[in-house]
Amino acid sequence: MTTTALPNSSTSGSGRPPLPVKMVIAGGFGVGKTTTVASISEIEPLTTEASITEVAAGVDDLTHTPHKTTTTVAMDFGCITLDPTLKLYLFGTPGQDRFGFMWDDLVAGALGGLVIVDTRRLDDCFAAVDYFENKGLPFAVGINVFDGNLDHDLDEVRWALDIPDAVPLVLFDARERGSVRDALLVVLELALERAER
Amino acid sequence: MSVAGRGDAVVRPLRPYVMADDDEPAKPVKPGAIGQAPEPQRRSLAVRPFLVTAGRVSDDAKLPLETQVVATNDGLTALPTLTFEQHDIVAACRAPLSLAELAARLHLHLNVVRVVAGDLRSARQLTVHAPQAGTAHDLSVLRRVIEGLRAVPDSRGLTRDNNRPA
Repeated sequence: MTTTALPNSSTSGSGRPPLPVKMVIAGGFGVGKTTTVASISEIEPLTTEASITEVAAGVDDLTHTPHKTTTTVAMDFGCITLDPTLKLYLFGTPGQDRFGFMWDDLVAGALGGLVIVDTRRLDDCFAAVDYFENKGLPFAVGINVFDGNLDHDLDEVRWALDIPDAVPLVLFDARERGSVRDALLVVLELALERAER
Repeated sequence: MSVAGRGDAVVRPLRPYVMADDDEPAKPVKPGAIGQAPEPQRRSLAVRPFLVTAGRVSDDAKLPLETQVVATNDGLTALPTLTFEQHDIVAACRAPLSLAELAARLHLHLNVVRVVAGDLRSARQLTVHAPQAGTAHDLSVLRRVIEGLRAVPDSRGLTRDNNRPA
């Protein structure tokens, strides 16, 4: 993919656009993805419709061609202008996470992902964890502490989620901008560490 | 593990403008995933999205959501002669906007925006700046993002660095 501005087409007054980068916020329905985006976004989170390609699970296909259907889903997103030349977009995956889904449109070129977990419904996040693992996308698992209770035993949660030690596990409060920022920084530091290798 | 079948899951209606049609097959949904919650109020298009694009899907379909588009002077000059979506897109892009923001603000399907933006680019009325491949693994980009995010103040006005010494 290349920058595709045509030559000789003078851009209007505002000059060159910022470099856009993005991160993906995933997790089950109602775990706080939109809250997370809203806490740190400089704009009210927006909703747009996008296509995802879904591999239909449980369909026997003798042609070895995965049976794919393209569906359109709504997703929320926000953004932060980090400096005049750099803008970070945060995309929340749509709510109906299921096995077999592919968020290719969403994660192409993403810096990393944050999978949000509600400790009362741990299994909601498995689809997202599996997906990011398969894609090789740097990600962290963030436990959203709705109740402000930061006493969850991380080792127990890690055991229950069966995530490798290499995946950072953080407690955060989706309503607190600083807490969201720090959770995103954990993901970015992991991405940097991987890119340095 | 029952993900699709959990009681609190909301399966949002997909493509409301399509689902309304009897001749269109319903979107395949796993058994048990349907009808668990009322349809959230959402704005849907009055016309099928690809009427807008005369049925074309985009060569630019792979443009990432965060791709920036900006109106050119040619585009702004031509604004009075443009109609409908083309007009709206050029008018919205006086300052750079992402494809995702355009779609959300104009209540258009993302892929419609991709197609129309592609047309406008061909007519030199819009410039399209897709991020370079490999940006996500670019050390300098990652460092800049980290640095920029650290400087974002929390709700008490503290940046990451004066909150927690590095």
